[in-house]
Amino acid sequence: MKTFKQLYALIEKDIIAQLRTKDMLSAMFIFILLAFVILNFGFFEVLEVIKQNPKVVGSVGGLLWVALIFAAVLGLNRTFVLEKDEGVMDGLLLAPFDRSLIYWGKFISNIIFLLIIQVLSLPVFILFFITQSFASQAWLLIITIILGDLGIVAVGTLLSAISVNTRARDLMLPILFFPVIIPLLIGVVKLSSFVFAPQSNLVTIRVWLQFLGVYDIIFLIMPFLVFDFVVED
Amino acid sequence: MNKTETDNYLEVKNLSKIFGRRKVLSDINFFLGKGEFVTVFGPNGVGKTTLIKILSTILNPTKGDFCLEGVSAKRDPVFIRQNIGVLSHNPYLYPDLTAYENLRFFSHLFSVEKVDERIDYLLELVGLSERRFDLVRTFSRGMQQRIAIARALLHEPALIFLDEPHSGLDPLAVEVLDETIGGLRKSGTTFIMTTHSLEKGLVLADRALILSAKGVVFNEPTKDVKVGDFKDIYLKQVSG
Repeated sequence: MKTFKQLYALIEKDIIAQLRTKDMLSAMFIFILLAFVILNFGFFEVLEVIKQNPKVVGSVGGLLWVALIFAAVLGLNRTFVLEKDEGVMDGLLLAPFDRSLIYWGKFISNIIFLLIIQVLSLPVFILFFITQSFASQAWLLIITIILGDLGIVAVGTLLSAISVNTRARDLMLPILFFPVIIPLLIGVVKLSSFVFAPQSNLVTIRVWLQFLGVYDIIFLIMPFLVFDFVVED
Repeated sequence: MNKTETDNYLEVKNLSKIFGRRKVLSDINFFLGKGEFVTVFGPNGVGKTTLIKILSTILNPTKGDFCLEGVSAKRDPVFIRQNIGVLSHNPYLYPDLTAYENLRFFSHLFSVEKVDERIDYLLELVGLSERRFDLVRTFSRGMQQRIAIARALLHEPALIFLDEPHSGLDPLAVEVLDETIGGLRKSGTTFIMTTHSLEKGLVLADRALILSAKGVVFNEPTKDVKVGDFKDIYLKQVSG
């Protein structure tokens, strides 16, 4: 109970600060909107061909993740910036709990922020890129987004704690993050293509879902083992 | 001198810290009695802040250990953190939260009971009750440090570390800090303070420690030491 109260306090503090400044949320949302506009108008003719061809129509799912992953990096980069710049991290390290709780507080806050951005940006994506109903496959999109978010935020939050202590921290997170996240990205793009395609293969879907599940479990266990070492100078 | 039970309230044993190739602390040994006020003096870069960070479990020592009430920091760092408060030159406050929100946040981290009552009392103590709903970002350095005093005292720690707490403070904040320290000393709180001010450090302390690259080179009660004499001792110890 005590641990949950402490975790709640960590999350609440991030949400209050974010709602007050909106720096992370607004940067992420504006980036996604810009990405969708550029992709829509830049590849207008190509997209028209794709939308007419049932064999390749699912590939628009990739466009969703192009925007989401770069927006996520933008937000994840700021995860520990306030703690580092204002020197509050030492204050958190003084608290009487297992230090991985600091990670879980940031993890849950980041998941909430990413989900808010996705809820706001998905209608725009559908408006720009989707012409046929995918209601019957909506469950798959929801599961893909949840599994994708868990992996992205699990990896990103941990690497953000590492990169914030480096001199070129804005550069460091993408350099560390993208090689590690590529397997997950392939998985979410594959699964998203099944969402927007008229036909899908349930066996393949199950394999990719299992793959994402295993990936998430690995990177959700890791912080328990390494976060204590990451936050020590 | 006979050791009493309270002499070993805090026991520091062979503490060393190495950053990369640089040895910052080398075999630090001392003990502290309950209710005692010890000031740690030393030149810049000798490791005073590192010592405070290790004793407050922010950093792990490369070698050695310390015990609070017989409990080893290596075995139970959470016990240490429950019993200590740290007031540094950095206030450890979130600028985009109000004073009240900051104190409520840290109260929850330290599982403080009757949170609002405690915050009301501490804000009154540091004279910032009327600014409780203002963002910390809008506070002056002295006011932030006064909120930091409240933050450090939220969970009523028995041992308080003061890392150059007077640096950059306005006279009012210095007065608030000194009055608070005085009140806490009467109630039996133990203190370790680092400072560059020989006079301030000596006036407040029961015992003075001088830290040099060789380790603790001076560890004596302050009651018979005059500031002028201590300055000579200090210069001799840190230059030798």
